[in-house]
Amino acid sequence: MRLFVWRWFVVSSMVVGALVARAETRPQYGGMLHVATRAAPTSLDPADGAQPDSFARRNLAKLMFDTLVTTDESGRIQPSLATGWQVLPGSQRWQFHIRHQMKFHDGTPLTAESVAASLRTANPSWNVMVDADSVLIDWDSSNPDLLAELALPRNAIAKRTSDNKPTGTGPFHVVDWQPGKKLTLAAEENCWRGRPFLDAIEIEMGISFRDQMTALELGKADFVEVAPEQTHRVSQAGRRLTNSSPVELLALVFARDAASADEKLLREALAWSIERGSIRSVLLQGAGLPAASILPTWMSGYGLVFSTEADLPRARQARAQVHSIPSWTIGYDGTDPLAHFFAERIALNAKDAGLLVQPTPTTNADLRLLRIPLPSTDPWVALADVANSAGLPLGKKQGGVEDLYASEVALLATQRVIPLFHLPVSCASSSSLKNWSLRPDGSWTLADAWLGNARQ
Amino acid sequence: MGGAVYNSGIPNVRSNSVCHPFPVAYMLRVVACLSFVVLQLTIAAGAVDWNEPEQQLSRKIVAVTGPGAAALTVENRSSLSKRDYEIVQNGLRSSLEQAGLRFVAAEQAAALVAIFLSENSASYVWVAEIRQGASETSVVMVSAPRPASLTAAHESVPLSLRKISVWTQADPILDVTVLEENAGPTHIAVLGAERVALYRWQAGKWQQEQALSILHARPWPGDVRGRLIPAKDHLLDVYLPGVICRSGAAAPLTLNCRETDDPWPLVPAALSGGIYSAFPGAGSGVAIPPLGAFYTPTRNFFTGALTSGIGKFTTVSKFYSAAFVPRDKYLLWLFAATDGHIHMIDGINDQVARFDWGSDLTSVKTSCGAGWQVLATSAEEGNADSVRAYEFPDRDPVAVSPAINFTGVITAFWTEAKGDTAIAVVKNQETGNYEAFRLAVVCSQ
Repeated sequence: MRLFVWRWFVVSSMVVGALVARAETRPQYGGMLHVATRAAPTSLDPADGAQPDSFARRNLAKLMFDTLVTTDESGRIQPSLATGWQVLPGSQRWQFHIRHQMKFHDGTPLTAESVAASLRTANPSWNVMVDADSVLIDWDSSNPDLLAELALPRNAIAKRTSDNKPTGTGPFHVVDWQPGKKLTLAAEENCWRGRPFLDAIEIEMGISFRDQMTALELGKADFVEVAPEQTHRVSQAGRRLTNSSPVELLALVFARDAASADEKLLREALAWSIERGSIRSVLLQGAGLPAASILPTWMSGYGLVFSTEADLPRARQARAQVHSIPSWTIGYDGTDPLAHFFAERIALNAKDAGLLVQPTPTTNADLRLLRIPLPSTDPWVALADVANSAGLPLGKKQGGVEDLYASEVALLATQRVIPLFHLPVSCASSSSLKNWSLRPDGSWTLADAWLGNARQ
Repeated sequence: MGGAVYNSGIPNVRSNSVCHPFPVAYMLRVVACLSFVVLQLTIAAGAVDWNEPEQQLSRKIVAVTGPGAAALTVENRSSLSKRDYEIVQNGLRSSLEQAGLRFVAAEQAAALVAIFLSENSASYVWVAEIRQGASETSVVMVSAPRPASLTAAHESVPLSLRKISVWTQADPILDVTVLEENAGPTHIAVLGAERVALYRWQAGKWQQEQALSILHARPWPGDVRGRLIPAKDHLLDVYLPGVICRSGAAAPLTLNCRETDDPWPLVPAALSGGIYSAFPGAGSGVAIPPLGAFYTPTRNFFTGALTSGIGKFTTVSKFYSAAFVPRDKYLLWLFAATDGHIHMIDGINDQVARFDWGSDLTSVKTSCGAGWQVLATSAEEGNADSVRAYEFPDRDPVAVSPAINFTGVITAFWTEAKGDTAIAVVKNQETGNYEAFRLAVVCSQ
């Protein structure tokens, strides 16, 4: 009898073991994914420009909405809601053929009219028309950057209603929405790209990086963001950590143009005084890359020619040419725990150069410490976006690498922007979350993710 | 199967090798093989046309400096291989000299020229920083197209591929396995969508021994794929989407099929569990553990879930096919993912690349070249496919054979059980027949 029990135990253990092993390694449908983000958008409308831009917001939009075209991991344009496109001969008119038999989550059909209406809302200055089953966009050139622009989440196709609840065609639809706090999404059974493996995703918003990591460690979250300065520690702790390419620009942005030659010298002195290397070592714990260019080198190819080394003698020399030194305020995001230390450190560097800089947790300051998420891997689109963030015009918007370089040099020559660092997007996930990745541009691929047995 | 065609003159691939397993002679031949490969690689790398961007950059630099004495540094900050870097560096020096620059030490130079071979996500970017006296630094640059794959650039053909016709029939062939052979196959199994047929070479022709039906409840997905794997204790196992069949051991054979999502083997039985080195004759080696992958029962690809980890990776992207290459201290796996990328996984990193490859690839262990070649179909769209052999001396594949062309698209491509040859099934675009070929790597032409 004892032998029989022992054998039964061994056999049943093997069976259970086999089942568990299969469950751990096989893609499975079902389960709710718990995500935490620091961003706390109060609108789901991807085109709502009043919402602060963040990678989390963009990625949430991709779960609910589709764009006309999309980019693959290499940044190449691929069809999405548009099955094909062309520039009409003899014009700067783009024609996009809309995918047939598509429906919004509320059951209404996706039409060329609804696509055009969505694009007009997102881009009031665009000339968007409808021609049977296709959408026409008049663009100022045949520049393919239009495609990169259309792939941005802010140009996602949404059907907007009076109750401010836009609906899309993405892999998940909204079940519950508590603005700025919590979003619950459910899998779209009839998603044109195939039903997602996950049944639902619950996103808790406005959660600090520290609390996100605690939630992950307690098993309350499966997928969290990681602050750059925490990545080393998280990696050391054996957590599943994934980084994008450096796609966020941390920069000082002056509120206005320099009013005089003296002020230009002082801005130059400030730029030369900043010790990016030691700031990276101490405050960023080695994360990110020191930057003196707006675009990261992996995007432009030439970023390495901009020196990131501090040059205090040169800073003092520039400062010495000015007799009257104003006191600048440097504004930072008070909810960003690291921003305060950055601002303090920059003020200290400035002081060494003989400048007066006072950190303040407000947006109304002479210069601001900004995190600017680069919107696209297309360098022209990214440069234009940064210029827009700084309130600067971007003269040329297309061309070769030397044109790009010249445009970036011209932007930097305005002395409105002092690049500091290029930071990656970092995310940590529980071991039960499978088949997801973080693309170089910071995009999550949660639509293809699935949960292992532990979270079912 | 009256339509069956067999080329009875299947050569023993190993006998064609110039590298035999005898210690001294073998080592000499290995050295000779490697020298030949290196020579070919050097020649091939030299064939890359960097001339235009070199000339462009040189013209731009000299437009700033004017002719005269300059100090030059060239630094590689890109994925350009060391070999190409050296070629570009020499090319730049040469074209700068032709443009009027004379290279001297920095303290004697009128201009300091620092060239960075950089890159962005789309192309190589070569940037020159020019300092002249106390004046401002000038920056000039050019972009050089980076091919989606350097395979064409790294043209090198020390090896060749030989295709030997094994079987032809009108119905789709999912796989063919050779069960017995002397100078050529004498006993084969042919997997169709609905049956496994066994043929024996007798009295100068192929005769069907037996046909075993495959029972399955669900309809097959489009582009049905399958594998035949010879077994030790029975004749063979059959892997189909959502179904695995096991044959009996002796005639008359039976075939027992069951609905299951059990994994398909990725490592040929003859290689599984062995220890192999990156180069023939090298002292140490890496173990090749058995590895299986789950196949989607309703699709035509593997799910990406693996039976055991490749280092830290227990799942990879969904893929159509896989190959592996032993490196010095690890096994490099290549997955042809459904998104068109090749994922190169070494156990720590998942490097994503886009080569000029199709969705079918496999690897073979041979006594040629580096000892392991990846056979990959071409990515070109059209009615006819080709296959080419590649090696991985560095991070990029180097073509080591000319492409071998087929008369139609390849519908199946698997490594054979011994691991040294592959079976390619082609749908002949003219006849509409399915033709199975054995592909062998031949050491010299």
